[in-house]
Amino acid sequence: MAITGREAFLGRVRGALSKSAGVPEPDNATHLGLTDEDVSAAASAVRREMSDNADALVDAVAESAATAGWKVRRVASPEDAADVVAQICVDAGVSNVLRSDQDVFNSVPVDAALAAQGITPSVATVGQAAQDVPGLKQAAFDAEVGITGVDYAIAETGTVVLHPREGLSRLVSLAPGRHIAILNRGDVLPSLDELFTLERSDYNAGEIEGSMNLISGPSRTGDIAATIVDGIHGPFEVHLVIVG
Amino acid sequence: MLPKTENFKRGAAETLADPIIQESMEAVYNGFHTNRQSAGAATEGWDDQRDRGRAIKEHTIANLDYYLNMLADNVDANGGNVFFAPDSAAASEYILNLARDRDVKTVIKSKSMVSEEMSLAHEMEAVGIEAVETDLGEYIIQLAGEAPYHIIAPAIHKSQDQVAEMFKETTGVDPGDTPEELTITARGMLRETFQRADMSVTGVNFAVAESGSIVLVTNEGNGRMCTSIPRVHVAVMGMEKIVPSIQDLSMMLRILIRSATGQRISSYVTMVNGPRRDEEEDGPEEFHLVIVDNGRMRLLEDPKLREALYCLRCGACLNACPVYRKVGGHSYGWVYPGPIGAVVSPVLSGLKQGKDLPFASSLCGACKEVCPVRIDIPNMLLHLRNEVAEGPSESRGSGRMERLGWKAWRFGNMKSGRFRRGGKMANFLGRPFARDGMFRRLPPPLSGWTRSRDLPLTTSTPFRDRFKKRRQRGEG
Repeated sequence: MAITGREAFLGRVRGALSKSAGVPEPDNATHLGLTDEDVSAAASAVRREMSDNADALVDAVAESAATAGWKVRRVASPEDAADVVAQICVDAGVSNVLRSDQDVFNSVPVDAALAAQGITPSVATVGQAAQDVPGLKQAAFDAEVGITGVDYAIAETGTVVLHPREGLSRLVSLAPGRHIAILNRGDVLPSLDELFTLERSDYNAGEIEGSMNLISGPSRTGDIAATIVDGIHGPFEVHLVIVG
Repeated sequence: MLPKTENFKRGAAETLADPIIQESMEAVYNGFHTNRQSAGAATEGWDDQRDRGRAIKEHTIANLDYYLNMLADNVDANGGNVFFAPDSAAASEYILNLARDRDVKTVIKSKSMVSEEMSLAHEMEAVGIEAVETDLGEYIIQLAGEAPYHIIAPAIHKSQDQVAEMFKETTGVDPGDTPEELTITARGMLRETFQRADMSVTGVNFAVAESGSIVLVTNEGNGRMCTSIPRVHVAVMGMEKIVPSIQDLSMMLRILIRSATGQRISSYVTMVNGPRRDEEEDGPEEFHLVIVDNGRMRLLEDPKLREALYCLRCGACLNACPVYRKVGGHSYGWVYPGPIGAVVSPVLSGLKQGKDLPFASSLCGACKEVCPVRIDIPNMLLHLRNEVAEGPSESRGSGRMERLGWKAWRFGNMKSGRFRRGGKMANFLGRPFARDGMFRRLPPPLSGWTRSRDLPLTTSTPFRDRFKKRRQRGEG
């Protein structure tokens, strides 16, 4: 789009540093010096580790997610996962349920399980729950539960990673008071390092999304009397349902 | 906000006498500081990661022109706009013009210290644009009409009763009095505001040069609201908040968050790579990045102060500082309190009026010890003390009489004869005013010393004389 005031500003920076324009000496501190091939090879190694080490990683994330504040449920099959999701909604006594339009709902029959409990979820996309963005926003703020899949989970921190995109609104995991995330075995990364290796590899390939959210527990604040309270703006309750 | 760094001593004295604040500030140490200590101990290779973090900042700041240029190119390529602001007035003007041009009625703000430098919320309100702080702590101090007390816990000095009182005044109904009830009340008040917001202003925890991304760290989710709901998103950053590569983020996030609250990670970390993509369901249509100097060049150009620009704004040095915990955040008189504030504020606001701040430290070194990027704050404070005493006359903070006094002191101590005679003369002259060998109260300018402690009288028989006598008696 537009860049304003750049040359004068950079001139002052160079003046303050007493240096001239130019490419810095290579430096090992930052990862910037890695070539695209290095990054792509590292990303492939990460993907292999996710699948080779899936059992240990899923055990680890179940533990770290619970520490981070997720209510974690592990189930054996997609059908069981759908039942758990429906049961969470029933236990919470809610009827206004919103879900994203992600692949996970093709394998985990959430709609059917909810229907069996008399709940019809809305799909949080422009064109389904709403005809336009303001309508979608209203639907997300009105909903009592938001259900999504999980792009990656991170064992180190108990984090769910979501990349908003077509079918996955930014608000469905944020505006409702409860968020349920469905994680498939095999989508767990060891640590933040591997996440950003994959992101960089995607960026190099021109495949990075407009934004990314790392979610590690409920919305929290400690701003009144230094007491931690859940649910200041976003969900006060977050559930992680792990399949397989 | 306008700097009021000249009022340090008065502010500190008032805070020391305020029992509510003194009690509230206990949490800074017992909560944040102890949590940070255990988080560091629990992180594998913690000290190596800090070294690495420092090395990244050192390299980036040394080549800041190159990385700012790369950042601007990539934000542009992502479909965003970049504005380089030489000072806070230029930054405010850009954002206000944008708001007017886009017919903005309501702005939601996520915590941004740079926007505090700009008094942006005030500026917006002054031209009739509703501007609401959405971090709960910031919201509370906005209602109170105050400045942040702590970098990551802006309302740490307010008791829950004070918060309840303010909420009651704002809503007209009883908000309850427990932190849980008050939080639910705030949730209701702010959710309604989020929904009608048409522009957001956020800070930036990290900007990534290679991808033109910005990263926001929050626990509350207000950063996510700000990057999801409004039509226009404006991110404001100090020019130093930059890392070269996406892959540098993992370690920087780790050292930032663990140093700030002791959490392994905050509830939310949001990365924004420009405006929403066409096929996306929602998100801002416009993205603007405002990169602000506002005095930072003065830190950059002084090799002894440059590392102040490595600061991640985690607040760990505040929590560790025995002075900050007692004198509180407002005494420092500007946006940045505590040890890092004692370095940054006088330089950004002018050393002459901020001359007391470099002295607001016992130089115990706790700040350097906990800093995630090992900034040598004590050394910079010493450097600034030297500038205050002997720097160029326009920035010098010491008075003529003070300098004359120290010159006389130096003269008296240069030669052993002068030292001996001076000591004896001081004893002779001082004896009538001392009691039990101590001065309890001295007239100005020495009254500052005796207000909180006694000054011993120089001895009538100095060590040299006693030593000589012992030798003469054959005891030595």
